[in-house]
Formats: sequence, structure tokens, C-alpha cells
Amino acid sequence: MTKQLDLLDIQGNVIRAYGRFGYPVARYVFLNIRNAARARTFVGKLTKKVTTATQWGDGIGQVKKPVWTVNVAFTYQGLKELEVPRESLMNFAPEFAAGMKARRDILGDDGPSAPELWDPIWQENRETRDKDVHIFVSLNASAPGWPANGRDLIETSYEQLELAWQWLKDIVAQHGGGVVILGGNVGDNGALLDYQDCKVVMEQGKPTAKEHFGYTDGIGDPVFEGVPYDTDRVNGRGKQLENQQWAPLATGEFLLGHIDEAKEYPPAPNPVLLSRNGTYMIYRKLHENVATFDAYLDEHGSKYPGGKELLAAKFVGRWRDNGAPLVKAPDAASKAVFDKQLAVADKEGQDELLCNFTYDADMSGAKCPFSAHIRRINPRASLQMISEPGDPPGSLKNSVGAFDTPGALTNRRRVLRRGLPYGDVKDRTRDDGNHGIIIMMLNSDINRQFEFVQQQWINYGNDFKAGNDKEILLGNHSVDDRFPSKAVLQVEPTGNDTPYILSKIPRLVETRGGDYFFVPSLTALRMIAKGLIDPT
Amino acid sequence: MFNIAGKSYAMNVITPVRWYLAWLNKVIFYAALKIPSTLSGLITLSLIHYARWVIIGRNQFPHMAPEQPREQLKYSYMLFFSNFNGSWDQYVDSFTFSIPGGLDMFWKWNVRYSKSVALTPFHRYIQYNQLETQHYYNAYPLAASNDVKSAKTVKAALIAFDQELRKGTDAEFLARYNTLLRGLQHDMGDMYPTPIVSMAAYQLERRHQRHERQLQELKAAASEGGV
Repeated sequence: MTKQLDLLDIQGNVIRAYGRFGYPVARYVFLNIRNAARARTFVGKLTKKVTTATQWGDGIGQVKKPVWTVNVAFTYQGLKELEVPRESLMNFAPEFAAGMKARRDILGDDGPSAPELWDPIWQENRETRDKDVHIFVSLNASAPGWPANGRDLIETSYEQLELAWQWLKDIVAQHGGGVVILGGNVGDNGALLDYQDCKVVMEQGKPTAKEHFGYTDGIGDPVFEGVPYDTDRVNGRGKQLENQQWAPLATGEFLLGHIDEAKEYPPAPNPVLLSRNGTYMIYRKLHENVATFDAYLDEHGSKYPGGKELLAAKFVGRWRDNGAPLVKAPDAASKAVFDKQLAVADKEGQDELLCNFTYDADMSGAKCPFSAHIRRINPRASLQMISEPGDPPGSLKNSVGAFDTPGALTNRRRVLRRGLPYGDVKDRTRDDGNHGIIIMMLNSDINRQFEFVQQQWINYGNDFKAGNDKEILLGNHSVDDRFPSKAVLQVEPTGNDTPYILSKIPRLVETRGGDYFFVPSLTALRMIAKGLIDPT
Repeated sequence: MFNIAGKSYAMNVITPVRWYLAWLNKVIFYAALKIPSTLSGLITLSLIHYARWVIIGRNQFPHMAPEQPREQLKYSYMLFFSNFNGSWDQYVDSFTFSIPGGLDMFWKWNVRYSKSVALTPFHRYIQYNQLETQHYYNAYPLAASNDVKSAKTVKAALIAFDQELRKGTDAEFLARYNTLLRGLQHDMGDMYPTPIVSMAAYQLERRHQRHERQLQELKAAASEGGV
């Protein structure tokens, strides 16, 4: 890796998934601007505290790891209210200007995911000016002293989070009504809160990277050029090369003002200082129907030849307990071997085991089905597939050398994923509790990256030769009996097994709100705060 | 404009090429057809129904009647004609990501061709030279090209299966049935509407349907009035 990014200019949440860096709790706060000048002063005040992407250390001259972090982003209306000039505004991406709600038909937010059923804050957003979401502030907190203090991790972190929250409320109050905190985030028992609370799922007193269905999240997050602490994480997370090696993706896929995979600067507004080192963020609140999930898994788990846990793994492409990829551990026997290797591996070795794989030896999907979550979200080089006359029926193979690079259809569809679960599952027999995940995805082109994956790969299956079959876990499975959702779990074409058909897949995950944001660099934040943005 | 019908998009791009270099393009097209491996990238892109490149000489444009004035064309032209599934962006991007070298080879002698990478100048080149489709009929609007191929595979497999239907024991039947399913495991995708190609196309289609409905209502009202 030769490129060195200006980490002090990039917001910390762009580069770090805080959950992985020891921040188990978070609060996401949304504000409405009432007075432009005071709002700019407020942004200036926030900016002084914003957490950058710089490397942390305890040495002299090094930036210490903060106990809690602050990050800021704006919607299109927010930038407008802050009086960013129209010429700059008009060069932001059209889908960013339109917002998530207006893109519902692209995103498949229908039925129980329809905006009419979103949390009040998101229902009311972009309807009347005083309810518009303008500013996003995220606070993530860690637990100093844990576990030595003998107390609960979440409890210890929440003390710090409360301090951060109090700090934010204080500076809001200091700005004389220039900005107001919007309520309407649904919490426990339908309570409407002034923030979205998030925390990791705990198992036996230990934090996990799991969500409420029991899957480990965020293992395969992309790695791109210029991030110093990701250099040993490239295998399986960057882009697949012809010679079986991996390389980091181009920076411009995730940060504006840098060269992307098409060897150009991604479209971005002027002046360059407004967009450079900034990016777009997609905030989505996803409710998880745990009872429906459990019931569906039980129903089919009892019939599925490999048993319930293998079936759960087939939904996602990874085993639930430790994230073992099906490509490496396709059945119980190979899983046992994998587990032994994982148990003795060091951190780097674990990473290799969990992430460094391709679908080259699984082109027919017998191990990891074509509708499994990880194969849909990141097909690696597996879209370079064909079948030719004379091939065994039901088989697909790699069309070697057909494309100029094996990841041609994947490398420009990658998305950084941030976020944490929210709520607790108090009763697994009910869907209507307060539980799900907040996912924040970052990319430099919302339409080309996030929306494409959501529409074409999650809610449709043509690129996977699966017609309209959707991704099993996140797909907006039909609630219309005329169009029931199904998925095919493929088997070895030359073996004796029968493909298993998951019929009538219910809606397992529902959208509860969200919008598109712009995450500026520190330079841009300072310029916005000073009212200095000038594209001419 | 009706570039879109069902799941398909019709693209026509006509680009000028210097008449004295047009023969080079013809040689390349000829060679590409003779050496199938040069087209394997195109064939692997399963979203394509059909793609054709043609050189139209500067004296080959249609002359429909004696009264049509004779044109003096400076260039010959290359017509690119394709039907594909998905959006314009998806198609053009798939092309440039997968086979940038092949595209450059086909368009190399075209006037002001930008090369396929970087992407934005290539997008502009195609957009500028695209002829919008005025009328586009699609007999199977729900079918992507993969769906058509799968339907043919399923039909052939079912006919073959049917011929063996009454042979052997129940267990043998089950084994044959399972083999059938296994052979068709990549051909069983559902075929439903969705996804919409773009918000603009979606809005256009809804407006079109609304106008049709209003027209029918007006006609109905008029015929009632007539009675």
C-alpha cells in the first residue's frame, strides 16, 4: 500500500467500524435547523470535537483514543439550510437530493417496509420544513476500566454515552434555538425518543458482533487503498486479481476526491475542498422479525437434510456460531475441522480463515447458495459464470479470461458497512419488540453502489441466474400470495442430492426509516461552519 | 421515449467513422466472428439479449424515392444496436468494467471516441450518440434474457422427463425426478414484474397508463352519450 490518506481530515466513522474498536454503545441524534447563522456556529462547535480517522496512540504527540466519539453528517436539505451555495448543491448526486423516501420504488420499501409505517421521525422527514432531518450526529462510547472494574460492559459504556449526550444537549441549548433535536425515534414499548439507541448484543457477559438472528455481522467489510490499519486485512476484502491475489480497492470507491476503480474522480460537487475526503452515508433502520425468523427456520430446519444450523448458514453463507464461511466449511464434518483451526489460529490466521476465500470452487452454489446473503452482497469474482453445451446439467463454471479483471462486475458495487444492533429481544415468540439493526453504509456513489446492490442483488436475482428470487435474509419478500418468494439451495450437479427449495419466504427484515447523508471532511465542516463554501 | 419495454432496454448508438478507415472496422468484426474467444466476455454478460455492430458506408444510407435529395455525407457510420436487461447505467457500466479492451477495439476508429475508461467521458460519448427509441415492442415483457434461456431448458427437460414418466418403480421415478430438479437448479427462478429500471422511466410508464385509462373513460363516456 503506497497511498497515504490524510487521516486527520477524514471523519473517524468512515474508516472505523467503531463496534470493532471497542465502542459497544451508540446514540444517533437528528437535528432540524431553525436559524442558519446559529446552526453554522453549532456546526463549528461540533467540528472541534469531531473524531477523525487518525491512528491512536498513547505516546508523545499522538492522538489518544477518545472515550467517546462524535461524527457529523448532513442531508441535502441540511446543506441547503446551512446556506451552501446552490451551484454546489446542484452538483451533489440526484438521489442524495431526492432522499431515501423518494427512492422507495428503487429500494423495494413496500408492504411492511413502506415509509407510511416508518418511525415518526422518518415519516415526518421531508414532509414539512420544521420536521426535516438536517443534521446527523453520532455518539459512540467505550467503557474505560472494563472489565477490571467488575461491572457490566454496557452499563459502564452507557455512563460515558450519557456524558456525550449531555455535552450535545448543552451545545444545542447554547445556540438559542438555532437547531432543535428531533424526537420520534421508536424505542422500547413504542416510546418515542430523542435519539436512536444502539448497543452490541451480549452473550454470557461478553460483547459479540452478532445481530438478533444470531449471525456475526460485518466480517467481510471492504478494504481500500490508504488505510494504514487495514493492510493485513486485504485478502478476501479487497478485489480479486487474475493471479489469485487480492489488492485493496481504489480509494475513490469510498471517498470523494480520490481516483476510483474507473480511473477517474467520482462525480462530486465543487469546490473540491467541499467534497474531497467526504463521502455519502446511507442510514437505515432495519427491524428484525425474530419470531417469524425462528418459526421459518424451525419449519424448514426439521425437513432440511443437513439440519437446522446448516440451513441457517445457507441463508447467509456463514455459520451462525463463529461466522465460518460455507465455502470452507460446507457441512458438519468440515465445520468441525474449521473450528479446530480457528481455535488455534492467531488474529491474522483467524482473519484468513474467515475472510480469505473465493467462489472459484463453488461456481454452482452447492456450498454457498446463490441467494445467500454474503454471495449476493459481495459475489467476489463469481459473476463471471457460464454453462456450455456438454456441461453437466445444473452446473455453472468460471468463464476464465472473459472479463478484463475477475471482479469486473463486483468491484464497483462495494459498500462500507457501519452500525450496530438496537434493542433487546425480550420475547423471541413475538416480532413486534424493539429489535433490529441500524446500518450505515458508506460509498461515493449511492446509485451505483448501495442502490444497485439493494435493487438488483437483494431484491432481484437475474445476475445470479435466479430470476426474481431475492436474497433470503434481507429481500423484500412478497406479502402478496400471487407472488410468493422462494429460493433454491443448490447442490453438487454431479452428486445425488436434491436442491432444497425454500418456499414462501416471509418478510424477515423490515425498513423502519432512514435517509441519505453527506459526511464531509474536517476541512469541509470548518468551511460550512464559517459559511465559506464558494464553488467559483 | 420508449427505450424500455418490460425488463428490456433497446439501445441504438450511431457514431461517425472516417470513411477511409471503415474497412478496418469490418476486418475487426470479421476476425471477432472467426475467433469466438474474443467474444467470450460479451457472451458471459448474461444481461444481453442481443448485440450487433454494423458499418453503414457513407453511400449506403437509404434513398427512398427519386425526389429525396441526395446527401453528401462526410463520414461512414457505425451502428450499434443492442437489447439488454436492466438500466442504461447497469449495461454501460457492465461493458466498461468487463471488456474495456474489446470496446476500445470496436470503437477505436470512431470520431471523437473517448476510450471506455475513464467512465464519465465514455458515458457522455454514448449518451450524445444514442438514438432514442420511439417505439419498442416486447413479446415477453416479464422475461430477462436468462429467463428465456431457462424456459427453453426447462421445457426440453420436462418433455424428456415426460417420455420416461411411466417407466420403472416408484423409487426410480423419485430418483429421476430428483435428477431433473438438480439439472434445473439454475433455471427455476421466479418470473415476476419488478424491478423498475429508473424513477424517470417508472414515472413515465405510470403517466402513460393514466393517459390510456383517461382515454378509455372518455371513449366510454362518449359512446354512452351517443346512445
